[in-house]
Amino acid sequence: MLVLRIALGAVFVYAAWTKLRTPWELFAMSIDSYQLLPLKAVELVARTLPWFELAVGLLLIAGFWLRSAAAATALLLAVFFGLMVRAYAKGMEIPCGCFGPNDIISWKTLLRDGSMLAAALALTALSFLRRRNATAR
Amino acid sequence: MNMRLGALALLLLWPALAAVSDIDPNKTAGNPSAPVTVQIFSDFECPACKVFHDRSLPQLQRDFVATGKVYLVYREFPLPIHAHSREAANYAVAAARLSLYQPVADALFRDQFAWSVNGKVWDTVASVLTLSQQKKVKAAADGPSVLGEILREVNLGHAVPVTSTPTLVVSRGSKTYPVSGTLNYAILKSLIDDLLK
Repeated sequence: MLVLRIALGAVFVYAAWTKLRTPWELFAMSIDSYQLLPLKAVELVARTLPWFELAVGLLLIAGFWLRSAAAATALLLAVFFGLMVRAYAKGMEIPCGCFGPNDIISWKTLLRDGSMLAAALALTALSFLRRRNATAR
Repeated sequence: MNMRLGALALLLLWPALAAVSDIDPNKTAGNPSAPVTVQIFSDFECPACKVFHDRSLPQLQRDFVATGKVYLVYREFPLPIHAHSREAANYAVAAARLSLYQPVADALFRDQFAWSVNGKVWDTVASVLTLSQQKKVKAAADGPSVLGEILREVNLGHAVPVTSTPTLVVSRGSKTYPVSGTLNYAILKSLIDDLLK
């Protein structure tokens, strides 16, 4: 569980860093490529999501509010993965917006994010199980 | 010590320097000393490049190039998956030798669907050239100068790295940002406005 949360936390902190070190418009361009949100919503997500990723990543690494952080991570990854599968199925050759602007959606990015989603779900389940076991004792 | 610092500075700045070097002046628009440079890595056969060329480029030209704020540099990045894009790039770069890049590029994007299906790239190019210009462009298109320029630009693109077309490389000084995706003009405008502040 320690390895899972540190690894996922580090990935989220890195993902946030790649977005926060560049102008928000670069991430906004990736979000807009999915053609799902109106421009105002694209700007809002581009400006706030990296900070949320950073917060979740730091919480996972620190081990604070683990169940909530793990569940938020799994939820975020499920949304990201769903959107990427949709774009890939539609044949859209667009940047996924995961780690900067040059990460074009492919079976490799799907495999990577799918693995991360599986890890996040496992971490969420483990953190809730541990809590239940602790309460039962 | 100073030489070491100089070498270190050159090493750190190399991506930015390399990114805006090797410019063919016949494939540019605007003031070369404009504060922001936008390089467009594009493929004449790519549908998204046509959308950018038809919709966003005129707005970019109007808002930033005509006003002296942006220097536009056109870069060839013909993708191997497109059967005729290399030929189209050859003709466009050859036409640039006669300062006719823009009309040829406009025609290639205008008729993209037709020539990408029937392969008659030359017919589209010839439609905007006089007979004497046609002879010169045809002669230069397969020459080492044109092929070498395209190869250099493709290599520049790989160094960015360009992973899809169109990709814009927006730079001001040492700040260089590759921009890809749908290239929504409102977002692109915001980025350039922020860089100009």
